[in-house]
Amino acid sequence: MALFRSRYGEGPLHLLAAIASFAIATYAFLEIADGTAPLNFAIWFVAAIVLHDMLAFPFYSILGVIVGETLRDPPAASARPSALNYVRVPALLSAFFFIVWFPVILGFSDAEVVESTGLDTDPFLERWLLLTGAMFAISAVLYAVKLRGGLRSRRARR
Amino acid sequence: MPNLPKLPKPFSEKPPPGPFQREFWKSPLRGPWLTSFLGSALLPLVIICALTGFLSHVAYYPDLGDNSITGSGRIGFDLYFFDFPTNPAWLYAFTQGLHIISGLAAIPILLAKLWSAMPKFFEWPPVRSPAHMLDRLSLALLVGGSLFVFFTGVLNIQLWYPWGFSFVPAHYYGAFVFLAALGLHLLAKISVARRAFREEGVVKPLRADVRHTEPEPYDENTTAPYAPSAPTMSRRGLLGVVGAGSLGLTLMAVGQVVGGPFRSLALLSPRGRGFGSGPNEFQVNRTALEAAIKPATTTSTWRLKLEGGGVPVEFSREELLEMTQHTESLPIACVEGWSTTQDWTGVRLKDLAALAGIEGDAEVTVQSLQEGGTFNQATLSDSQVADERSLLALQVNGADLSLDHGFPARVIAPAVPGVHCTKWVSSMTFSGVDA
Repeated sequence: MALFRSRYGEGPLHLLAAIASFAIATYAFLEIADGTAPLNFAIWFVAAIVLHDMLAFPFYSILGVIVGETLRDPPAASARPSALNYVRVPALLSAFFFIVWFPVILGFSDAEVVESTGLDTDPFLERWLLLTGAMFAISAVLYAVKLRGGLRSRRARR
Repeated sequence: MPNLPKLPKPFSEKPPPGPFQREFWKSPLRGPWLTSFLGSALLPLVIICALTGFLSHVAYYPDLGDNSITGSGRIGFDLYFFDFPTNPAWLYAFTQGLHIISGLAAIPILLAKLWSAMPKFFEWPPVRSPAHMLDRLSLALLVGGSLFVFFTGVLNIQLWYPWGFSFVPAHYYGAFVFLAALGLHLLAKISVARRAFREEGVVKPLRADVRHTEPEPYDENTTAPYAPSAPTMSRRGLLGVVGAGSLGLTLMAVGQVVGGPFRSLALLSPRGRGFGSGPNEFQVNRTALEAAIKPATTTSTWRLKLEGGGVPVEFSREELLEMTQHTESLPIACVEGWSTTQDWTGVRLKDLAALAGIEGDAEVTVQSLQEGGTFNQATLSDSQVADERSLLALQVNGADLSLDHGFPARVIAPAVPGVHCTKWVSSMTFSGVDA
């Protein structure tokens, strides 16, 4: 057992589970390979990883760093609360909604939607913009309230 | 233990620059507790989504007629253990609604979990042992599989098909890949989560505000940061945003499942828009235009052809209207996770089976005037035909069906997926089933 563990890196249960897991996955791939456009399936499968790990992740990380650096906590002396999370929270929520609904927001499937449902995708860009605007507006109000609270407590201290 | 020869090390000890360096990862929030917490939130949603997905598959009765849409022509594997019941009538609307709700709700959590585990994708050395190599390969299937399955679903409910493969088998077998990899992942990670919850407490890290947020203790085997920067957000803050995103998407999905006044909650869904207020003003899955229905074929020359035991019989729409009419309030429930309940009036399917010359239980294959397409026909089971609420509807909400809703006649039946409620019916072939 010790020999197995030192050579394989885990216990035998891991190997059994791994074989089962890869057998099922390989079966599913073969089933798809027998269907329509198997190469497209493979491309989209790999593209999902590449798009997320190599494009989306670096993109939002860099964006996060830029926003973070720009809105970094002000020096303690100013006592002004940081606006960072008042930007990050609505931006993240807006991004979540965009990531899920971008095909209709950007009208990519407009022709199909019209053909299938009899309605178009026209309102969705506006609705998403309004939703985003509303979230930022609420955030701005909350930040303003916080700023006033900070000012008042500083005045009270004086 | 015998003296083993040392295995050669294929990778240099020194990691390449960038994300492979432990100093690269700065977030003080990353660590096994955060990943475990997100994973524990994600797992029940994935389980609900997977179970309801396979249930939907059962609801299509893939063993009947040409109902199977996952088969690749060769064998195909239909996970199919029991007959989907017709009670309650909203059962399919409920299970498929849950499928879309849990799927959409999972997406922000999935993305956050991928973010939290990101340093793992840049491990160095890339391979430490055969087991480690299998784990990493499986991780590629897990990440690729989860993104693939969730986003093919997301694109399908918005009718965007930028790929060349057909959606159902890709989504279905993609789920096999994802779930197989998830099983192995759980086996490996349950102990990690247990330890994290034991050491940090299950909810204790949620109590800390930004100022009291401490990084999880550094360990080279975990994602806890080696050189964390000062926190700018608490863990509960991060989880709150993710939860709010998840809740927002849940409300949108709930809106299109429940319908009625709640439909407007589905703010960004193509199924969230209202029609007018007339009897035929409700959601259409496929318009007559898309189905290429020639209006001339639906006029007074239209006949419903019934086949069964003996000589085929034909009925005009007027003759059907003269038969005993029944009105049932039933939902159309789409695989895309939207539904709409309306009052349908028409002839019972079991009465039509009798007219076709069938005594006792019968299945029926319903053919549409629509000439092409996967769903221009469907086979309903004997239990679906026998249910008294199953109708060949001629009217809806007291008015004749509109062309888009299947004029001259359409099938509507309880707990049957929408695409099996064939529109523009041209013929019905009943076949007796031995009791």
